[in-house]
Amino acid sequence: MNGRLGGWLRGRLGLDVFTHLAEKKEVPVHKHSFWYYWGGMTLFLFGVQVGTGILLLLYYRASADEAYESVRFIMTQVHFGWLIRSIHSWSANLMVGAAMVHMFSVFLMKGYRAPREATWFSGMALLGLALAFGFSGYLLPWNQLAFFATKVGTDITGDLPLLGPFLKRFLLGGEQITGGTLTRFYGFHVAVLPAITTALLGLHLYLVQFHGMSVPPSVEAAGGPRRSLKFVPEFLLRDSVGWLAALGVLGLLAALFPWELGLKADPYVPAPPGIRPEWYFGWMFQTLRVLPAHVLGFEGEFLGIIAIGLAAAVWLLVPLLDDPLGRDRRARLWTAVGWLAIAYVVILTGLSYR
Amino acid sequence: MSPRPRRTAPARTLLGLAGLLTLGGFVVAPARAAVDHCQKCHSEQDGKAGEAARKYAADIHARRGIPCSGCHGGDPNDPEPTGMDPGQGFRGVPARAEIVGLCVACHADAARMKRYNPRPYIFSVDEFRTSVHGRRQATDPKVATCISCHGVHDIRPHTDPASPVYAANVPATCAKCHNADYMKGYGIPTNQYSLYVRSVHGQALLEKGDLSAPACNDCHGNHGAAPPGVESISMVCATCHGREGELFAKSKMAEGMKHIPTARGCETCHGNHGVKHPTDAMLSTAAGVGACTGCHEPGSTADRATLFIASGLDTLKWKVAGAESLLAMAELKGMDASLGRERLRAARDQLIGLRAALHAFDGEQITSVLQTGFEHATAAREQGAGALRDWRVRRLGLAAALAVILVLIALLVGRIRALAVARSAPGPPGA
Repeated sequence: MNGRLGGWLRGRLGLDVFTHLAEKKEVPVHKHSFWYYWGGMTLFLFGVQVGTGILLLLYYRASADEAYESVRFIMTQVHFGWLIRSIHSWSANLMVGAAMVHMFSVFLMKGYRAPREATWFSGMALLGLALAFGFSGYLLPWNQLAFFATKVGTDITGDLPLLGPFLKRFLLGGEQITGGTLTRFYGFHVAVLPAITTALLGLHLYLVQFHGMSVPPSVEAAGGPRRSLKFVPEFLLRDSVGWLAALGVLGLLAALFPWELGLKADPYVPAPPGIRPEWYFGWMFQTLRVLPAHVLGFEGEFLGIIAIGLAAAVWLLVPLLDDPLGRDRRARLWTAVGWLAIAYVVILTGLSYR
Repeated sequence: MSPRPRRTAPARTLLGLAGLLTLGGFVVAPARAAVDHCQKCHSEQDGKAGEAARKYAADIHARRGIPCSGCHGGDPNDPEPTGMDPGQGFRGVPARAEIVGLCVACHADAARMKRYNPRPYIFSVDEFRTSVHGRRQATDPKVATCISCHGVHDIRPHTDPASPVYAANVPATCAKCHNADYMKGYGIPTNQYSLYVRSVHGQALLEKGDLSAPACNDCHGNHGAAPPGVESISMVCATCHGREGELFAKSKMAEGMKHIPTARGCETCHGNHGVKHPTDAMLSTAAGVGACTGCHEPGSTADRATLFIASGLDTLKWKVAGAESLLAMAELKGMDASLGRERLRAARDQLIGLRAALHAFDGEQITSVLQTGFEHATAAREQGAGALRDWRVRRLGLAAALAVILVLIALLVGRIRALAVARSAPGPPGA
């Protein structure tokens, strides 16, 4: 970029701003630095999703009559179609997993403290979008498992107070899952959600760049000189090792455990046994399942939805509730809440597979 | 000595008489009674009359409000023995020869039967006359009448499992008369029941409870019960086995059989009362095993054709089994074999189609079905083999990709270490 062309581009695209940012950006080095890689890992897996998703779009047909057949065509007739679809499905799960690790590590390292509240809010919104991507994408192959899992999911949405019935109708495009629901979910999955995600991801990355990397309170309290790494090239090279390893894992999973297609959706057959949503909804699903039918005169499921909603709201607002310095009793309480939340999600997710 | 009937004239006379009696009002129209005093008093008595009266409570006629007098005459409203006065129309126990006429009086009367059912079964005297039972009514005191099959005093609808004419009870009901003891002297076979209970039809109906399986009346008729004529045997079978029946009816074999006195359509190969589940062994050319060997000599054109069909059938089965094995193996390895499965299903359809097509006795048709079956089975096999080949390629590709990734990681780690060393190295003097 130092030649004539480089000079020409720098003059017209303002590339010096980016060069300057890259040269200035540093990543703190301390005993918790490992957790800094999970944001980049999530971003890498999102990139894999975008790439494989675009390739799948070339053959996928979003109608109840053709969706299943087109996915089967991709899996059996298109060169490397099986690999692209399997990677897309596996990567979706790994991406949600990476995002959750990122979120919990930020929570426990208290990376949401001022002035990074907006970074936390945008990150939480991105996690919500990742879950929405997962929910909408799950139906697209139009197979039995997806059909009935979506039915369970939208039925739960319908139980939400006030807006529930409207949201359910909005999601389904009617009262039942039909071909109209499929095209609607397809629209969300490839247009609406990507558009919102692009904007929010841009904001999130900008805020990370603007505020720099957060340092945990324990490291702040230790004082003394802080070590750091240049983002380019040192941290980026380490990131790349993780990304390559993730790519290897994806290839391994796709080749050894290709994502199954199952049977075509048929609304007129009974739901197959073992219907459950994707693993990342498992803890919510299990919470609703273990609740008694009625609690204090209210429907158990209704109370469960309210409780999950309140917990999510509190989790979202933690930057406003925790101690800004992250050192007093309140801070320790929120750390305990974080560990409890992790234990709850892990245990309930495990129980949902029993 | 066989008591052959004196043809149908006496039966006609009897039935004609029954009709006249009915029209003349001699048979008492079933009258509804508030209290059937006949049944009330006789129920409290011992003996046959008491037993009959008690049984009659469950009888379909009693449940429809028809009193004892419907058949026996008399006045059911009269609580005294005078109700049994012949002057009141009392007939007592009808003679055996009167029974058909008595039942016909109501059951052949559409207007009367419609009082009880908007779509009634109307007994056809003409149909009854076509049966051996009907023809021998006036001459043979042992021949079946209505009550022989339907019972008496506890008659139930044919849909009632307790009825002797309920589908699953029909074979035993027929066997009450069609056995060696009762049929002694008639000179007809009496092994039908023992053959039937071991047949594919008998096992389906009596053991599996499949009410769609045929009982005696489904092939012989009920009120017109008679052995199907040679001409109609194939048509009788075709009422259920439509595809085979249709093919056979158009075949040269069906045409040829018309000129062979011993040939009896479907029965020639499959038998009648003891019909077994047809197996591919019927195509064997081994004497006494294959169905064709009973008529066709070894080395004959028919024998060679049988050999051709049997070998084609075996080849198709072998190809289907081979494709199944490959597809199952591919699925076990996690490969999608759904397209292969579709072709395999089509091949299996052809296998079933071939077993039906045999009844056309037409080389071209059979060859065409075989060829189509071979094509599907071969395609399914190729799909299975292709899936397994893909599985091996995927593993090789995975190994190669992982090797490349590991090399790249090693290079990156080397670069990271080099940078770390450069960073920790002391700067140039004076820096």
